[in-house]
Amino acid sequence: MSVNGQSNNGPHEFASPTTSGAARPVRGAVIVGGNRIPFARSGGAYTKSSNQDMLTAALDGLIARFGLQEERIGEVAAGAVLKHSRDFNLTREAVLGSALSAETPAYDLQQACATGLETVLGLANKIKLGQIDSAIAGGVDSASDAPIAVSEGLREVLLDLNRAKTLPQRLQVLSRLRPKDLAPDAPSTGEPRTGLSMGEHQALTTAQWNISREAQDELAFNSHRNLAAAYDAGFFDDLLTPYRGLARDSNLRADTTLEKLATLKPVFGKNLGAEATMTAGNSTPLTDGASTVLLASEDWADAHDLPKLATVVDGEAAAVDFVHGKDGLLMAPAFAVPRLLARNGLTLDDFDFFEIHEAFAGTVLSTLAAWEDEEFGRTRLGLDGAFGSIDRTKLNVNGSSLAAGHPFAATGGRIVASLAKMLQAKGTVDGRPARGLISICAAGGQGVVAILEAL
Amino acid sequence: MSTVQPLILGEMPSLSKLYVNAAAQAARRRVLGTHNGSSLPATGHEVRSVTADVGNLTAYQHLIGLTARDTLPAGYLHALAFPLAMSVMNRDDFPLPLLGMIHLSNHVEQRSPVLFTEPLDIEARVENLRGHRAGTQLDVIAEIRGAGTPDIKWTGRSTYLAKGVFLPGIDKPTPPTGLTDFTPPDPTAIWHLGVDTGRAYASVSGDFNPIHLSVLSAKALGMRRSIAHGMYLASRALADVGPAKGETFSWDVTFEAPVFLPARVALEITAEQASGDGWLRSDFVAWNPHSGRRHFSGSVAPLQDSAV
Repeated sequence: MSVNGQSNNGPHEFASPTTSGAARPVRGAVIVGGNRIPFARSGGAYTKSSNQDMLTAALDGLIARFGLQEERIGEVAAGAVLKHSRDFNLTREAVLGSALSAETPAYDLQQACATGLETVLGLANKIKLGQIDSAIAGGVDSASDAPIAVSEGLREVLLDLNRAKTLPQRLQVLSRLRPKDLAPDAPSTGEPRTGLSMGEHQALTTAQWNISREAQDELAFNSHRNLAAAYDAGFFDDLLTPYRGLARDSNLRADTTLEKLATLKPVFGKNLGAEATMTAGNSTPLTDGASTVLLASEDWADAHDLPKLATVVDGEAAAVDFVHGKDGLLMAPAFAVPRLLARNGLTLDDFDFFEIHEAFAGTVLSTLAAWEDEEFGRTRLGLDGAFGSIDRTKLNVNGSSLAAGHPFAATGGRIVASLAKMLQAKGTVDGRPARGLISICAAGGQGVVAILEAL
Repeated sequence: MSTVQPLILGEMPSLSKLYVNAAAQAARRRVLGTHNGSSLPATGHEVRSVTADVGNLTAYQHLIGLTARDTLPAGYLHALAFPLAMSVMNRDDFPLPLLGMIHLSNHVEQRSPVLFTEPLDIEARVENLRGHRAGTQLDVIAEIRGAGTPDIKWTGRSTYLAKGVFLPGIDKPTPPTGLTDFTPPDPTAIWHLGVDTGRAYASVSGDFNPIHLSVLSAKALGMRRSIAHGMYLASRALADVGPAKGETFSWDVTFEAPVFLPARVALEITAEQASGDGWLRSDFVAWNPHSGRRHFSGSVAPLQDSAV
């Protein structure tokens, strides 16, 4: 795989759609805009709001902003990571409760924290193939209103009770119930195959890449400072609808300082050989929220007199073998991005914005360290040397998850809409369209990354 | 193979009866002050045409963290043969007290996959009585064949120690030197074992040894708290090794400090790959994350052409 020395131009030629039935040429998929509700720390403003409530709120704002009342959208896709079984048709239910045409189809998708970005990529592909002309991608999560399951013991008794036909059979089944069976099972962020929480996994990776406490705190500080500045500059005015009394992300600490961050005690990695460096300040908190993105073909956007902020150029998913520690749980983007850029003939120097999801400050810094590492480049990426480094002034310039919070499935939509707006404002750079890279890590050792370009 | 014909039992012995018998035998021997010499019974025990119970198999698989497939896990086959092994150690001519024996190590060869529907002939015998710096040890050999066939599908060698029992004529070996110090590595997994871990494994394996069931029953046998079954721990480690091992493999485990319940157990599992893509071996080691004491370690490897 050779990454360097190729054209700066993206590979995609966008042809006009045709109406012929057979092979339609691939056309572009554009981001019209987005809307989200402010993200709330769990147990805060959205404590009693369900996933359907929040997704509908984000959708309502999007419909109002772009005049989509009674519009039959090609398809709506969204998802939630923590999802109740009764929400099997969560997105369709949100559509039915919205002002969109009731004839708008919808489906649910779930790829852990990559859910939101994957809905964007999947729907953009359908638009590119001419299967649909418009789409809404989204995601929602509530850590406050999380589903709680009954214990396995109680579940088995209840299921067997349902199957029992006679009173003696039912009594026999009920007699199996023990007091401990009444304790509920709450969802956890633990990886099923390792029993380690996501934070404990990242602590191993953070130590492996020798990421310092100071570097993590600095990244967290920048995230809060940048997000606060973006709010002050009105950046989110057309990206966000207030909900339940919140107009800003409640996790944002505009007045935080490096000194304050330095006083926080480590919460992850306390039993490892290396020094524990991960605190509540440089790790994302559990958060509630929802986001949506409106996608369309250029023709559809023009016909509806809607803006065209950026195009969805390409995307890539990757996964790592983390179970026995070959790679860190959240390191899949370190592999996905080099593959994506190679396919598109691009290097890290060809980007104006880097949106690397801040699951933990250590995740972002470990990914950057891997890309800058000669040996990792040679032995793991199959390159001649290090993959490359990024200009840190282009990283998460309007803040990211450490400041905004991270309602798992809603993060992709937050990033796509914000980046599209930044790209449109940037316009062209050295005669080429402004370009941005999105990188999102996910549970299960997965990652999804994407390239967006200004039109 | 032993040259003495095994004693064919009509059905799989009941473990609970065996434990009661063993307790009675221990009391009898305490009163009479006798034991049965310094040699092991040459006769093994065999049960024919045993089939697994699918409900019990599913419960075992879910408890161990395995996907419920139709092949019998290697640890499940150990549990299937275990009552027979116990019945040999429960014979009147078995020279060591059964209760309180410590499981030191286990070697298993899964030579071909076994479907849960297959009738199986299971045989167990004891051999290799020898000294140990802390007492007397022996091997329990179990073999599982397709019913009516000579093909061994699974074989296991469990080494047990009768602590503090020294039989006349059996030399005590010098203590092993060079016991390596253990420095815990970074874990690849953490198990959170509840206080009911022993009861849960007892209910799927049938091994209701009181030292695993509750604090009270364990205290009655001189333990400060109940401990996890060694084969539960080893079987979970085998499950955590994952699909790399394929359908046939050898599986070794050496037990050290017992896991007192409830417990957090840290593990490191590493796979060694050949220069190609081939899997050479997976090693596992488990320890107490607070004290750093090693609980057990072992490996899973492709089957070699070796006899047990």
